[in-house]
Amino acid sequence: MLKAALIAMLVMLLCYAGSYLTGNSYIDRPIVIGAVTGLFLGNLKLGLTIGATLEAVFMGALNVGGVISSEPAIATVLAVTFAVTTNISQKAAVTLTIPIGVLAAFVLLALKNGVMIIFAPILDKFAATNNQKGLIFIHFLSWFIYYGIYAVMTFIGVYAGSSAISSLVKFIPQNLMAGLNTAGGLLPAVGFATLMKILWANKLAVFYLLGFVLTIYLNLPAVAIACIGIAIVVVMAFRDKDILDLKKKKSTMATKVNSNLDQKQQEEEDFFA
Amino acid sequence: MKITENLSKEEKKMLNSMSLRSFAMHADRMGPSKFHASGFTFCMLPAINRFYKTTKDKEAALTRHVQWYNCTPHAENLILGIVASMEKEKSLRGDDFDDQSITAVKTSLMGPLSGIGDTFFQGILRVIAASIGIGLSMQGSIMGPILFLLIYNIPAVFLSFYLTYVGYSLGSTFIQRVYESGGMQILTKAASTLGLLMMGCMTAMNVKFKTTIALSIGKGKPIALQGYLDQLFKGLVPLLITVGCFYLLRKRVNINWVMLGIFILSIVLGLIGVV
Repeated sequence: MLKAALIAMLVMLLCYAGSYLTGNSYIDRPIVIGAVTGLFLGNLKLGLTIGATLEAVFMGALNVGGVISSEPAIATVLAVTFAVTTNISQKAAVTLTIPIGVLAAFVLLALKNGVMIIFAPILDKFAATNNQKGLIFIHFLSWFIYYGIYAVMTFIGVYAGSSAISSLVKFIPQNLMAGLNTAGGLLPAVGFATLMKILWANKLAVFYLLGFVLTIYLNLPAVAIACIGIAIVVVMAFRDKDILDLKKKKSTMATKVNSNLDQKQQEEEDFFA
Repeated sequence: MKITENLSKEEKKMLNSMSLRSFAMHADRMGPSKFHASGFTFCMLPAINRFYKTTKDKEAALTRHVQWYNCTPHAENLILGIVASMEKEKSLRGDDFDDQSITAVKTSLMGPLSGIGDTFFQGILRVIAASIGIGLSMQGSIMGPILFLLIYNIPAVFLSFYLTYVGYSLGSTFIQRVYESGGMQILTKAASTLGLLMMGCMTAMNVKFKTTIALSIGKGKPIALQGYLDQLFKGLVPLLITVGCFYLLRKRVNINWVMLGIFILSIVLGLIGVV
């Protein structure tokens, strides 16, 4: 178990902390971090499928505008580690670690808004004295401390949590387990709903239905649907541009006609004067 | 229009350095009063050191930039470029140039750019990347995560460099012009359409529900309710649940409550034997 815990910690440092040095490259998203955890633990396939499942669940955990609702990375690492090292089923591992993700987000929030503020006055001081080396140093120091704490938390979570989780799962009755599995199937809905909130426009809502029907009835893969979408969008954008140009033309024409009329009137008035 | 034509070799070097630094901009964690202030300043250092010669000017510039800052990664490089062009102006014109305007432009761009950036990078690009990646990963293919990373990061890295150049070359009037031309509206609509289409696809692929209820009428074989549901409309329950969640979120219900609600609903359904 010590080895698994160390691997989980290493993956957190590599992917979660690493993503902030590589331009938020999303190597901390469940689909990637799950596969990496699985690879290091020797069960790549399990890592891939759990990662993909949790990617869908946490689709909406975007931290838009700096608001953190959940921590997908730690949930994924724990789910894969538990599924590989203990005997619990993949679905149960996924469902049990989702609340851990939400809980972890709270710890993170406290850390972010409480502990890390000690750096703020130091930053101001370095700026006021043109201490550029110092500024760069604390920029990366705050990164190291913050994600270091997170990696250690993951280590403790795996080391202490594995036996607790596997014994917990043994006591869960069949009915409850079916409920937990259903929750695992329905929870992605929340993620998609969050994204729909960003994208939604009443006039465009039919495209959501189109995407749904193309997939569920025709079983088209995502690549095909993306291509169909691009075709629709390009046609639409060109038509919109034509309409915009027409509108502009119309308004310039209108002002021209108006000014012509003014001129004519002026001439007539001049004539009668 | 070629955006690099009027730039000197040193300026290109500076812009490349700023773009490279921007990949580590969001590394800092210094609390809500700063957010990514040190990250932004870290990226601005090449410009500040290039344009200002005296320590006093450098101190003033650094102090100006270690204020609260946050914006979508990659999209924010446009701000980096614009602010760098303003710092150049400031260094040339000295006290004639009000340094307040630099802060004003910077803060006023954060909001709109985050809006566009979040929609494009997280709402569209990531959704397309994830929908393709998830499909492959589910089949146990290592191409899942790899394609996910490539589809997202190739445009992201390209835009990081491109937007820094665009911002620097066109300066602070740029955004205003784009908004006035109406091009932004068309772009937003196109992006939302594609995003919603992919959302529908994702919902169908990933939200799953199956009831085990079977009605036994007379002596015949029990009739599975799921069969009837599928005849009515395939995937009816997942669709309704997703639209329901969307409705709740739109009414500003906290996302964690919605998650908890689904959790409890599922467990209740499990306990009464519906699933």
